[in-house]
Amino acid sequence: MLGLKKFLFRGSAQANLPDDVRASLDLWRASKAPPLDDVHFHTRYVVVDIVSSGTNPESDRLLGIAAAAVWKGAIQPDDTFYVDFSTLDGEGSTVDRELTAFLLFAAKAPLVTYHIPYVGGFLQRAFKERLGVDFQPQWIDLAWLLPSMFDDKGDSVMPMDHWIDVFGLDAGSGRRDAMANTLLLARIFQMMTVRAVSKQIDTAAHLIAESRASSFLRRTH
Amino acid sequence: MTTQQQAGQEKEQAVGQVEMSLRQDGRARMAGNTQAFLRNHAPFNKMQPDALQLFADKAKIVFYAAGSEIVGPDSGKVRYFYLIESGKVQARQAGEVTVTEYSILSLGAGESFPIGAVTAGRPSTNVYKAVEDTFCYQLPADDFLVLLASSPEFNLFCTRYIASLLDQSRCQLQLQFAQRASEQQTLNSPLHGIGSRSPIAVSPETPLRAALETMSQAGVGSLVIAGEDRKAVGVFTRTDLLDRVVLAELPLTAPVSQAMSPHPFMLAEHATAYDAMYAMATHGIRHVLVTDAEGKLTGVVSERDLFSLQRVGLRQIRQSIDGAHNVEALQQAAADVRQLSFNMLAQGVGAEQLTQFISALNDALTRRVIQLNLEKHHFDGIEWAWLAFGSEGRDEQTFSTDQDNGIVFVPPEDATVDALRARFLAYALAVNKDLDRCGFPLCKGNIMASNPQWCLTLDEWKDQFATWIRTPQPDALLNATIFFDFRALYGKADLADTMRRHLLSLTASSPMFLRAMAKNALDVEPPLGKIRDFLTDLEPGQPGKIDLKKYGSRIFVDVARIYAMASGVHNTNSIQRLRLAAQRLSIRSDEIDAVLEGLNFIQLLRLQHQYLEGEPGTQGDNLIDPDTLNELDRRILKESFRQARKIQTRLKLDYQVQ
Repeated sequence: MLGLKKFLFRGSAQANLPDDVRASLDLWRASKAPPLDDVHFHTRYVVVDIVSSGTNPESDRLLGIAAAAVWKGAIQPDDTFYVDFSTLDGEGSTVDRELTAFLLFAAKAPLVTYHIPYVGGFLQRAFKERLGVDFQPQWIDLAWLLPSMFDDKGDSVMPMDHWIDVFGLDAGSGRRDAMANTLLLARIFQMMTVRAVSKQIDTAAHLIAESRASSFLRRTH
Repeated sequence: MTTQQQAGQEKEQAVGQVEMSLRQDGRARMAGNTQAFLRNHAPFNKMQPDALQLFADKAKIVFYAAGSEIVGPDSGKVRYFYLIESGKVQARQAGEVTVTEYSILSLGAGESFPIGAVTAGRPSTNVYKAVEDTFCYQLPADDFLVLLASSPEFNLFCTRYIASLLDQSRCQLQLQFAQRASEQQTLNSPLHGIGSRSPIAVSPETPLRAALETMSQAGVGSLVIAGEDRKAVGVFTRTDLLDRVVLAELPLTAPVSQAMSPHPFMLAEHATAYDAMYAMATHGIRHVLVTDAEGKLTGVVSERDLFSLQRVGLRQIRQSIDGAHNVEALQQAAADVRQLSFNMLAQGVGAEQLTQFISALNDALTRRVIQLNLEKHHFDGIEWAWLAFGSEGRDEQTFSTDQDNGIVFVPPEDATVDALRARFLAYALAVNKDLDRCGFPLCKGNIMASNPQWCLTLDEWKDQFATWIRTPQPDALLNATIFFDFRALYGKADLADTMRRHLLSLTASSPMFLRAMAKNALDVEPPLGKIRDFLTDLEPGQPGKIDLKKYGSRIFVDVARIYAMASGVHNTNSIQRLRLAAQRLSIRSDEIDAVLEGLNFIQLLRLQHQYLEGEPGTQGDNLIDPDTLNELDRRILKESFRQARKIQTRLKLDYQVQ
């Protein structure tokens, strides 16, 4: 356990990164972010969920990332990503490569998740500490957006299971793995974009702005 | 490129490879998620792991809000197969043409669509609309087809579904033709919707004067003569007025029954326009009376009524055939026969009726050629008949059928057979040549009446049949397949009946011969592949093609002939043979129906191929490339070949052929 913690959070060690990881990070840094002014259908959103050992991003461990792209109106099976750090017993550079691989996969697309402070917190810390990357993607937070978009179905931030119930999604029985959770989020996101379009929120930029506004408004009022 | 750069690239690939591998992990997880759903729904729960994996690997997840259209005729060629995960989808028929039994159908979780369209690679005929918020798994059409080819369970599921769409395929076919023929109304419509509903009828005792006044007042050209029970006993027309009243100097006080044409042709109300048309062509009549179930008169359908369904009129063709005084006129009539057949094909007349219909008109044409040539050749006092063999003998002619004919004659006691034969041969040669000019090509195998081998006396034919049956050598068996399907086309039909009785008495007592025929019939198998759907390399010089006659319809025809001879069926038509033989041999009717359905589909494809793909004015062939068929037709063709194999298997068992 402690060993794993050491792997994942070994302090600033960018200088010790393997050459290939550094080269990939350079590539990633140099890459252009996709435009955010296109309609949802043409925008590639990456829905992401994580597994962690607890709920505190400052002290608990990131154990896995599950992500699925939604674009051209569909959840695309050949554009998904899953990494599991929990069984990792190799050297630290494997983790570095896997985290870098996630950056390449996400390709600066807007990230959709449920509750940014949790998901974003774990990811930011991991990228900072392992790769020296300040991870600041364009976030869309369903936890805040859903009550604002579906005010007929819930008016405050609620657990994700509430929305799964409300939308009548089949979440299966028992524990869900991270990918199942991501796919449920992706489905909810698909439903939400339809609602968003009806409110003239028809581009990624709009959606990101709405997400920020909703969380700001809710937090401050 | 420097070494450093190369090293850098290799290492970049290391991250790239990790990304690839983690993407695969993601895909595997998503597939696992999809599979969990599939395992709860038929037919997926019965499918092999590989097939499930294929579906799960490729299926996207899409969302349709309540009220949105998912796919419809306007979306063009269907690109995806949809499986509903949750929600409700409504299927509604687009346009006015009803192609399925339902007009609105509601689909829920676990149900899929549009199976027929994605299989056939065509636009959907239905509009599919989400009536609730709906999630679907969306499998790209290409992957769907791979799945169809690789999973027997999935294939069976879709085939069964498509089997219920057999008629839809026919509609598709009709649609294609309908675009070329301008006719819209179908010949399949029942007679109670066509023609006059309240025919003018008078009793048989009505004096001619009163009858004529009735006609004049009503402004009609014909009258039905019916008793008080409203059962028709005759028809009286203007033509009868001339021939039977004026010229026969019949007084106007005489009852109309003396001038009417008795025994009018009648059909029940549920018979189709096609049936009426066939009757008119066969009997050369222009009115068909329509009756209810009790035989009471309810209407009259005239040739004119049917003419409105047809661009090329039937009566016109019959008239031009019967009235033709030279081959040139008959050539035009032959062209009309083809046009009419084409129109009928367009209007959805099935292969069975259509081939009979072509045969009926071709018969009329051939008879006229025979008659015309009799003007120069006289066989007075000699009993003889013109025989049709092969497909013509079976009433199964398609658009391109060459001549197969012969002559049977009975020489008077004082005549020399050879001198008489020489006269028949000269006559037959003229007929054969004229038939060729009318679009019935000369037989390549010289099976024609002008060949001395096939211009025989009744006794010679009997001997010939006996020889073939006693010594079932390959050439005898081959001849049997052609010559045993004979019927008299002109002349003394009794001669053909005598030949048939003789033949059946011979075959009934020659099990060895039937067994040899069976063995022969089993030489050719339907072109079904073990791996591929079809074997397409059976025809030398025609790679990729299947001979639908040789490997398709002929199999059915051969089997039908054997069962007919075994069970003493006099008919020559394969469908009638199979139906009647099945009754006598106690073959289940649903089993035989499936077989006939298969034969009909192959015949329909042949007709379609010959008409649509043949060069105008040339003889079509029977070679089709299955890859050019849409997926739906391919599946049905495959099923038809399976029926051919089934009936062959039965024959193999019945005759203990290894």
